[in-house]
Amino acid sequence: MGLFDGPVREIENFVAGKCESAGCRKLPIRHYRGWPSQDNLILEEETAIELGNPKEGSLALLAWAEEKFEEDSVVLIGPDLAEIGKRTAPFAQIVLVSGSFDEGYHCFCELRDAVYDARLKGMMFRVMPSRQMIWTRINQEALDHGLSLGHLGSALIEALSEVPNVSGVRVVFVTSGEHDLTKLSAPAARIERIVGAMMKMTEEMRYDCDGCEYRDVCSEVAELKKIRNRLKEEKET
Amino acid sequence: LTPRVIAVCGKGGVGKTTVSAITSHELFRRKDRRALIIDADPAGGLQMALHFPEGTSINQVRVETINEIKKKNRDKKDLARGIDYMLARALIEKGHLAFLSLGRPEEVGCYCSVNTLLQEAIEELSGKFDLTLIDAEAGIEQVNRNVMKAVDYLLLVADTSAKAVKVAETIRRLHLRAPEKERPDCSSIGLIRGRRLRGSKGGRTLTSLAGSLRMRPSESSTAKTFPSSTCPPVRRRKR
Repeated sequence: MGLFDGPVREIENFVAGKCESAGCRKLPIRHYRGWPSQDNLILEEETAIELGNPKEGSLALLAWAEEKFEEDSVVLIGPDLAEIGKRTAPFAQIVLVSGSFDEGYHCFCELRDAVYDARLKGMMFRVMPSRQMIWTRINQEALDHGLSLGHLGSALIEALSEVPNVSGVRVVFVTSGEHDLTKLSAPAARIERIVGAMMKMTEEMRYDCDGCEYRDVCSEVAELKKIRNRLKEEKET
Repeated sequence: LTPRVIAVCGKGGVGKTTVSAITSHELFRRKDRRALIIDADPAGGLQMALHFPEGTSINQVRVETINEIKKKNRDKKDLARGIDYMLARALIEKGHLAFLSLGRPEEVGCYCSVNTLLQEAIEELSGKFDLTLIDAEAGIEQVNRNVMKAVDYLLLVADTSAKAVKVAETIRRLHLRAPEKERPDCSSIGLIRGRRLRGSKGGRTLTSLAGSLRMRPSESSTAKTFPSSTCPPVRRRKR
């Protein structure tokens, strides 16, 4: 059993359900390579589209799976940037990574930095991983030049391929609406708890489980127990 | 050189907020550069003068970050991202201007790391704008506490009172006396003196003066700019 197996399965079921009802499409990664990278400031008046504005729904998830993905992929549920047709829309960015990540939180941080430090010209990102929120603004120039969420997915795959032990990446974008983001709230909450527990045992270096707020998730996820035991052993030696 | 970060300083009630508001308005009218306006005065007068709605202040971002730490463990990078997010949310935008207010300090204990991260985030944010204008708190405190390290143009405002002139002079001296590495990176210091807001004879009104600032040193009789290394003392004009 992998650390995030439970929520990853829920996310994959959600995506599969969407694809069965023709509510998703796979974006060809190769077609979207090479968009220049740039850190931007995009003010409201320069914004053509705003995704995941704090007033709208927003979700940013990152998790890993033990099973090896057959290929890297970018799946879009909902309209792409040029098709959105309105100025703001709810947004979810889900990044699932396959590989071997024994070192728990340290590995998670590496993956997190690769995902959230990715930049694209004409797109501004603000993320709050602790609240699983992502907010992006896209300027008109980038939109006119054909910027797509495929470019973002491709950039994320490229950034993650440089992280050790990553064997495959699945990126899922959701722009279809708040209702679909709500369907992801259960796996999102589980991922948040697992990451929180992992972070706590790594940062605090205290292994007294009595009264710990993550006791339930640690009892449920065997992999968390393994991480805890390994850290405890390291501390004792 | 065109200054990038301007701080308007001086004694309370001499017209700092008026100068800042007029300059902000002028920047808004010109539409030629993206500017970040920071109301660093806890009284929040600039926000009212510019008719910006009340939003989240920098101090509220600080408190929110501290509460976040209290609730969950957070590593430094995670916190820095969170602060960036909250600052972006706190920005009040109007055209190519963006506004941030310092707000009232709220006591939640000493969190130096948060203060440092916040200062770094503001400096980084400011770096993405063509120009940053800071309406400083009255007096010398913010200059003294090295709050305005990145300032490259110190704009002193004084009226004709001895006290206002003394405060302006103290700020100038503090700036020049600060150790090199702690000193704001000012290439020049400017002085706006006198309050001739109504029908001034021969003098220029603050409004016309602000219009002429053009973010470049003015050569008018009421606004002077000196290279900071040779900056002469501020003295009361003899009548």
